[in-house]
Amino acid sequence: MRRSILSVGDWLALPVVAALIALCCAPLLILLAYSFFQVDFVTISHDLTLANYAKIAGSETYRSLIARAFGSALLVVALTAVIAYPVAWFIAKRVHAAKSTLLTLLLVPLYSGDLIRIFAWRVLLGAEGAINRSLMWLNVIDEPLSGLLFSPLATHIALTYNYLPFMVIGLWLAFESLDDRWLEAAADLGAPTHARFLRVILPLTVPGLVAGGLMVFVMVAGDYLTPQLLGGASGITIISAINDLFGTAFDWPLGSAIAWTMLSILMLCFGLGALAIRRSSLVAEDV
Amino acid sequence: MLRRDFIKSAMAGTALGALGPAARAIASTDILWMTWENLAKDDYLAPFLDSRDISITKTFIGTDDEQFAKLRAGGASSVDLITPGLDKVEYYTASDLLQPIDFEKVPNAALLYDTFKATSLGKVDGETYGIPFYWGINPIVYRADLMDEEPDWSVFFEGDAYNGKLAMRDYALEGIMIAAMYLGIPEDEMFHMDDKQLAEIKKVLMIQKSKLRTYWNSIGDLTNLFATGEVVCAFSWVPPYYDLKAKGIEMGMAKPKQGVIGWCDTIAVPKGVSGARLDATFELVNYLLGEEYGKMLAVGGPYAQSTSAARDLLTEEEQDKIFIKDLSVMDNFVWKQNPPRYNEWVALWNEVKAS
Repeated sequence: MRRSILSVGDWLALPVVAALIALCCAPLLILLAYSFFQVDFVTISHDLTLANYAKIAGSETYRSLIARAFGSALLVVALTAVIAYPVAWFIAKRVHAAKSTLLTLLLVPLYSGDLIRIFAWRVLLGAEGAINRSLMWLNVIDEPLSGLLFSPLATHIALTYNYLPFMVIGLWLAFESLDDRWLEAAADLGAPTHARFLRVILPLTVPGLVAGGLMVFVMVAGDYLTPQLLGGASGITIISAINDLFGTAFDWPLGSAIAWTMLSILMLCFGLGALAIRRSSLVAEDV
Repeated sequence: MLRRDFIKSAMAGTALGALGPAARAIASTDILWMTWENLAKDDYLAPFLDSRDISITKTFIGTDDEQFAKLRAGGASSVDLITPGLDKVEYYTASDLLQPIDFEKVPNAALLYDTFKATSLGKVDGETYGIPFYWGINPIVYRADLMDEEPDWSVFFEGDAYNGKLAMRDYALEGIMIAAMYLGIPEDEMFHMDDKQLAEIKKVLMIQKSKLRTYWNSIGDLTNLFATGEVVCAFSWVPPYYDLKAKGIEMGMAKPKQGVIGWCDTIAVPKGVSGARLDATFELVNYLLGEEYGKMLAVGGPYAQSTSAARDLLTEEEQDKIFIKDLSVMDNFVWKQNPPRYNEWVALWNEVKAS
């Protein structure tokens, strides 16, 4: 007997899925429409124009802020990946009884909230903070290192700390599904350690790396609180510029255009990430 | 359910605080006031509510822009009284959201200080749409124990004694006004600067950025930065000065001769308010400009009302705290205005920060 194309469950889920799509898409589509409008003081003119996108393309400030957002995101993805790889491997392959405890501990900082974590970093990195005081007590420095706080260094330390758990979880899932027999086979065939990592472990954990990387990438690109509160005079981000445009400048169309430019680049990154996962799956199948 | 009723229900929790005795719950007229939390404390409003058959539902704002966005998005029909900045009233009138103030119903408006009577802000064609309500200054606040002398605006642009120890509010309007005052651009030109003047402003703001520890966004954060010694001098609001002095830190407050930024919030009535609600709203406006409310605001705020109603009821110390002991302080004020090219100001400010 031929089965119906949609099951009862599918029909029941349909309204929820439709509502979710509508609720997610509607605000974005409104934003997209606004990005083609213009503002004159407090009046929004609905004549369609590409002027806002031309303004972004022609503005060194907006271009560099967008580039800085994605550059920062890439750097933090790289840092979290390097730190998370051994952590995820350890939890997945070396821990048995305390696995869930370790994973819970990993998530504990996330329960404290962004602001608390940021201020904790201030306490550590500030002129009167723990690091400066310790270094002075040890006579390593004569006066506090001012560059520890309110600098790109402080911002990237905090961003790496904040988003590390997401990378660890992505990689941990990949390591959990990694069959140890592949490694045993590679070792039996005489593959040295680095070759086993590069030719077996890395290709088979790429999906976790990409999934974790995309999560971290998106969250860092959209984080403006951490750079604002720890980055000092250089803490401006493209998100805070959008905030200025929507708030004080009442230039919703330009703010929408920048938001959509960011969104388009992020979607491109997602597309590339999905492609990487697909290709690595094919590699895994070949293996 | 009417939109107004829905909003009222949703704000029931907030309203409870204002309603107080059960008798008020059945008040014949309810006023919905969109305002800052510190202006609508229960004890400030109690004398008004106790003697009238009126209740007040309060809805609090976080920023002036948020208030405008709410009204612009259709909220005007559900609100009876709003609290826009004097420089922002123009946004509301240009959007046709307000109705003129009926001065016959606000006798206390006769007590407005001269500077507020004379200002053209908040008015269109001679009609007042936003009546000055309360005001203050945004001075330079500094750690007197860590600075050798009282600073003026030049501390943010010249010398290197305090490099990396200064902070500036992350707000294009005030940041550019300060640079203009430093460059000696007169007030009547300040908000209409041409390209050449804006280029000069950008040049000095770049110098300023190199001297800053950070741009601050919340006054609590700035207070923290003063307390930890990360920042010794900042363009600030007044609270850190009093808060840290109370904690035993030697603080200073400078009002530069080049000009001091004055701020003033108004009270304004949205266009759709009418009938008994309008009468009750104007009754509240009159109360807010009167002596009882003024005294409580001066002591509890501490903020100065825009009228002289409560001035003589305050001690000299209380007057001094809110800058009304010697009113000549106002001679040096530069009131915030809305520059016609404000989008370009914001772009310039972001260019400097992104450099």
